[in-house]
Amino acid sequence: MFHLELLTVGLIQGAMYAMMALGLTLIYGLLRILHIAHAALFTLGAYAGVLAANAGLGLLPAAIVAVAIGGIAGPLVYLAIYRPLLDKPPYVALIAAIGLLIALEDGFRLVFGPYGLSFDNNPWFISGWMIGGIYLNAVQAAIAVTAIVSIAAFTWFSRRTRAGVAWRATVTDPAMARTFGVEPDRVRILSFAIASMLAAVAGVLIGLLNNLVEPTMGSIIAYKGLAIIVLGGLGNVPGTLVAALLLGVAESFGQTYLDQILDRDAIAFLVLIVVLMVRPQGLFGKAG
Amino acid sequence: MTKAISRRAVVALAAAVGTFLSMGPAAAQDTIRIGFHAPLTGPAAGDGESAKLGAELAVEQINAAGGLLGKQVELIELDDQAKTEQALPIANRLAGDDVAVVISGSYSGPTRAAAGVFQEKGIPYISAYGVHPDITRAGDYVFRTSFVGEVQGRAGAKLMAENVGAKRVSIVSINNDFGQSLVAGFKEAAAQFGIEIVNEYYYGISDRQFGSIVAGIRRDAPDAIYATGYFFTGGPLVSQLRSAGVTATIVGTEGFDSQSFIDIAKQAAEGVIITTSLDRGTDNPVMRAFIDDFEKKAGFPADMVAATTHTAVLVAADAITRAGSVDHAAIRDALAATKDLPVSTGVLTFNSLGEIYHEIGAQIVKDGAFTHYATIDDPVLLAPPTE
Repeated sequence: MFHLELLTVGLIQGAMYAMMALGLTLIYGLLRILHIAHAALFTLGAYAGVLAANAGLGLLPAAIVAVAIGGIAGPLVYLAIYRPLLDKPPYVALIAAIGLLIALEDGFRLVFGPYGLSFDNNPWFISGWMIGGIYLNAVQAAIAVTAIVSIAAFTWFSRRTRAGVAWRATVTDPAMARTFGVEPDRVRILSFAIASMLAAVAGVLIGLLNNLVEPTMGSIIAYKGLAIIVLGGLGNVPGTLVAALLLGVAESFGQTYLDQILDRDAIAFLVLIVVLMVRPQGLFGKAG
Repeated sequence: MTKAISRRAVVALAAAVGTFLSMGPAAAQDTIRIGFHAPLTGPAAGDGESAKLGAELAVEQINAAGGLLGKQVELIELDDQAKTEQALPIANRLAGDDVAVVISGSYSGPTRAAAGVFQEKGIPYISAYGVHPDITRAGDYVFRTSFVGEVQGRAGAKLMAENVGAKRVSIVSINNDFGQSLVAGFKEAAAQFGIEIVNEYYYGISDRQFGSIVAGIRRDAPDAIYATGYFFTGGPLVSQLRSAGVTATIVGTEGFDSQSFIDIAKQAAEGVIITTSLDRGTDNPVMRAFIDDFEKKAGFPADMVAATTHTAVLVAADAITRAGSVDHAAIRDALAATKDLPVSTGVLTFNSLGEIYHEIGAQIVKDGAFTHYATIDDPVLLAPPTE
């Protein structure tokens, strides 16, 4: 029973990682940019959510506000930071991404203070269910549901809609896609919007689960997200989702059984090192 | 060609920065400089802010009362991000900055690293609230104005046994110097008091999700939980324990001593007991005045970090006055001779290692605020290290 509870906790954590890593892998697939500043949009979403909720909006409308702000901020990041760097070597964009993450973290600290913000009223957090001896609160349930719904919606979008086909075509061959009338820049803006909306909703949910929104809440996920997309085989969407869930479960058990030896946050990188030694293309990447 | 230009630009920039930095001490002859470092950015920036406000309050009070030795006091503030690797550059920078004394408003990691540098350079150094025992062992120029972690851990065990009445205890601890020294003291004294440690869990400073620890504690079903960490880990931990239906008494430490802890955990914080240096129920006029003045300056209630840092600056100022000069050796001797000095955390006397003894207060969260719960006074159990 205890192990089942650890598995549940791990899968929920993994679902949150999946929402974050999906956006990262999308952007990597499209632009070959390691978008470390994705985590800043996660934090931005959390701040938008907590401020809107504390202004009296209610949790659900506050989450929608956060998603909307994420959906606007993501494309702005692309237009202002990455687009001018597209013809530079990839490390230039990586450096810009790290700089942007640090700048935004300190920006949050200067604007909203170093102590962080909490939800004045967090009813989802205190309501929960005991299901077969496993405790689940409403925020954890919301993380699981949001992850499943948003990933399903994304799959449908990329398989069944015209914009989704255009996106996949741009990933495969931007020049060819252009000759078929797909505007790569529009696809990129759309991808940043989708990725950032996912990051923003993940931020709100983690803010609710911690009952704390703080300037540096994205700094660990920023680097863990990279570990996940490398594990999943860079740009490989299903691989990324599986890697995210695996990492969540590994951390949940690791925190219980390896805590005297290893930080929970070190597990991602330990797994990453081992996998890169055995399978340099990632767990689900294609060799060569 | 461009390479040559950029190299020249770098040299010019370095020269400009160097000139700028070296202008500091030259212009400072008519003030007394007190060096100060704290985590002003990064995950511990909340504690850094409290420490900074506590130190600034003390300096303002000293200056309003006419300064020291007829000069105004100037605080040189640097950011260590609570990172050990930042400590050495900061210590070297302050050492070259013509400071009379340096105050650490930071955690054990950076403080322990910086202590060695100040000892070597012969600059008096006071750790406000760093708990690791090795800090003062750096040498005779290093002092501490709060308890060693082990001592506070022992107080926690006594509180657990005698006031809470717990027999079976699970430990949840942050896995850094702070948590490890508290847990070491707690476990040592727990054995004396017949407390059974059911299980121990360790987490990292950036952890906020404690799902698997909560599951473990639900399995352990202890009478009480001994928890170390900071307000930004303790708030989420306590919330998550309570929201999962864990009702065991929670005994925390001075790391939770912040209004932010209560703001995060809200209802879940009610009934949480902590051991700390700041007694909000005090009728001691010096301590009372600090609590009121701090809230006036900061706009939020005083916490342990602010109180110990304020204390550290007052201790330094008292030593400078008694030394009658800013000579480092004279200030060190005056610090070592500090006796029965009334400060914002009580009455302070240093022992031969630069450590203090005083009773340890316990506070409990009631109606959204910390209030007095108990005082643990046991000169044997809580004796500070002397070597």
